[in-house]
Amino acid sequence: MSVVVATAMDIFHLEKALYWGIIKNTSYMQIQLDNLVPVPLRDKIVQRSSDIWNRPVAFTPGSFTKIKAPSGTGKTTLVHYLYHIRTDYTGQVLVNGQPWASYSKGAIAGMRQEQVSVIFQDLRIFEQLTALENIELKRVMNAQAYCTAEKVKEMAARLNVTHVLNQSGRTLSYGERQRIAIIRALVQPFQWLIMDEPFSHLDEDNANRAAQLIAEECKARKAGFILTDLDHDTRFAYDTHYNL
Amino acid sequence: MPSFYHLLKKIIQTGIGKSRLIMAAGGLGIAMILLLIAIQAHTDFDQLLNNQRNANESADFLIINKKITNAMMGQNARSEFSPAEIADLQKQPFTEAFGFITSNQYKVTAAAPGDLHFYTDMFFESVPDSFIDVKNDEWKWTPSDNTIPIILPNDFLNLYNFGFALSQDLPQISQETVKALPMKITISQGMMTQEFTGRIVGFSDRISSFLVPVSFMDWANGKFGSGQTPSPSRVIIKTKDPSNPVLSKYLEDKGYSTNQDKIKYSRTKLIVQTIVSVIGFFGLILLVFALLVFSMFIQLVIASCKKEIQLLVTLGTAPRQLQRYLMRQFVPLYITIGIAALLLVAALQWWAAAKLAAHDMFISQWLAVGTGCAALLVLVLVYIVNRVNVRKYINAIS
Repeated sequence: MSVVVATAMDIFHLEKALYWGIIKNTSYMQIQLDNLVPVPLRDKIVQRSSDIWNRPVAFTPGSFTKIKAPSGTGKTTLVHYLYHIRTDYTGQVLVNGQPWASYSKGAIAGMRQEQVSVIFQDLRIFEQLTALENIELKRVMNAQAYCTAEKVKEMAARLNVTHVLNQSGRTLSYGERQRIAIIRALVQPFQWLIMDEPFSHLDEDNANRAAQLIAEECKARKAGFILTDLDHDTRFAYDTHYNL
Repeated sequence: MPSFYHLLKKIIQTGIGKSRLIMAAGGLGIAMILLLIAIQAHTDFDQLLNNQRNANESADFLIINKKITNAMMGQNARSEFSPAEIADLQKQPFTEAFGFITSNQYKVTAAAPGDLHFYTDMFFESVPDSFIDVKNDEWKWTPSDNTIPIILPNDFLNLYNFGFALSQDLPQISQETVKALPMKITISQGMMTQEFTGRIVGFSDRISSFLVPVSFMDWANGKFGSGQTPSPSRVIIKTKDPSNPVLSKYLEDKGYSTNQDKIKYSRTKLIVQTIVSVIGFFGLILLVFALLVFSMFIQLVIASCKKEIQLLVTLGTAPRQLQRYLMRQFVPLYITIGIAALLLVAALQWWAAAKLAAHDMFISQWLAVGTGCAALLVLVLVYIVNRVNVRKYINAIS
């Protein structure tokens, strides 16, 4: 985006964007790891080789990245480090060249609203809200919603969860929760989507539908993703594979 | 579709500490009412005093002298004010203006003109013109003038007319007649004598003395006096509020005396001020407790929704959004309490004004500006304290 004539409003918006840590006309959000080692897994990790732990890694913006990891190798831990909800590591997670810790809470919230989205393995649905409200919460959290309410309905139809939209989060099955969590992650703008075993509770058919939707939404945003899973799969046209 | 705010309302339940919230709100309400009553009562009492004071214009001026005690008798110097005492009096906050009363340092005799066979020794004093309540074009003197303008105390003429003249079967004299009578004034010191014509130009309610212009006094003291400037034994001050308890306490502590009638309200004022201060003090204490309970309530709400708030933050909710949401829960409550307290005190004021008016005491029917400002100030304080609390507890868990 090139700005030739900056009006006062442009400058105002730019300042707002800077405040939230969003500078849309810069290049894509860079995520890099710098000799990252989880403190609880340190002994196990130093004994074996890993494509991720304890080495410099740069995730290519816009690329579909798969991280394959057997149980207990720190898959979920990695996702939490990437999304900055856990910090018990040595080394660094660098976002646009800066460690997570250097960003303010407001700036991190801005990134989570505009630049990076997440699907947790444990889904994290509000049980006191309906399925639709769980999605809406994420959609209307941003000052300007990225997608319309109709678009949400459309995505729900594609993932076969239209019938549960008005059900309380408490009564949803794991499969339903997982699909709601996927839709919730897709209603916001992002440059990176971080997914932790996103299809673990889905049957083959639903998993493929979900994968197709995710791929479309990433393409629409020119966004990349980092997906962690236990096994080898061919649901996406992955650009990069790592073994954890 | 529900707004973000409505969704937050479903997630962050503020109903958990309802009893605490009611306690805090009740405490805030009572604290506010007490504070506002204290401030309003203070204003009202000032107003009452001002009205009475306005009826007596000379109350703004006090002539102060040392009490003459038996031990001091025969030692005139002990009733004089030392320069240090004068400086101290001048720097008191209640002293708006300060003037010496200068006495003559020569002998003065007055004789009635013609065949009246009236002759008396007398004295003169002078005060700066700004302290004199008689405004008169004749009140001036230059060394070339042979006529001295004189101001007599009103009381002096009254004493003569209603005391002396009636009992001695002498004629009563009007002010006009006194003003028309020229008197022969002789001032002397040792062998030096000079005669003047004295003319009464006015009567003072404020200063009980025989006053001559300062220019004459200075000239005559210079020519006939000892050459030394004597310390004054009476001074005059101008004060905004003679009922100021600080003033009466100062006079009492120093052993000075003045016209007690003029400072009689100071005691009442002191009592009212004490009562009002006590009420205000309790209001403040209660306000502090209300703020504490509020902050406990906020802590409880945030702690009880810790998981939900953490998930909201994980999903990208900015701490500012959460703070704003929580403040939106409380602010309408404060404003309601503030308005309710103001209305109650306003009703009380209106009622008190009506009651007092029946006894010929007049206070405004409306609240004082200060009371409104105080209510606003308390609300701003509560807002700030709560905002700081919300911010602190949200930051602690996010």
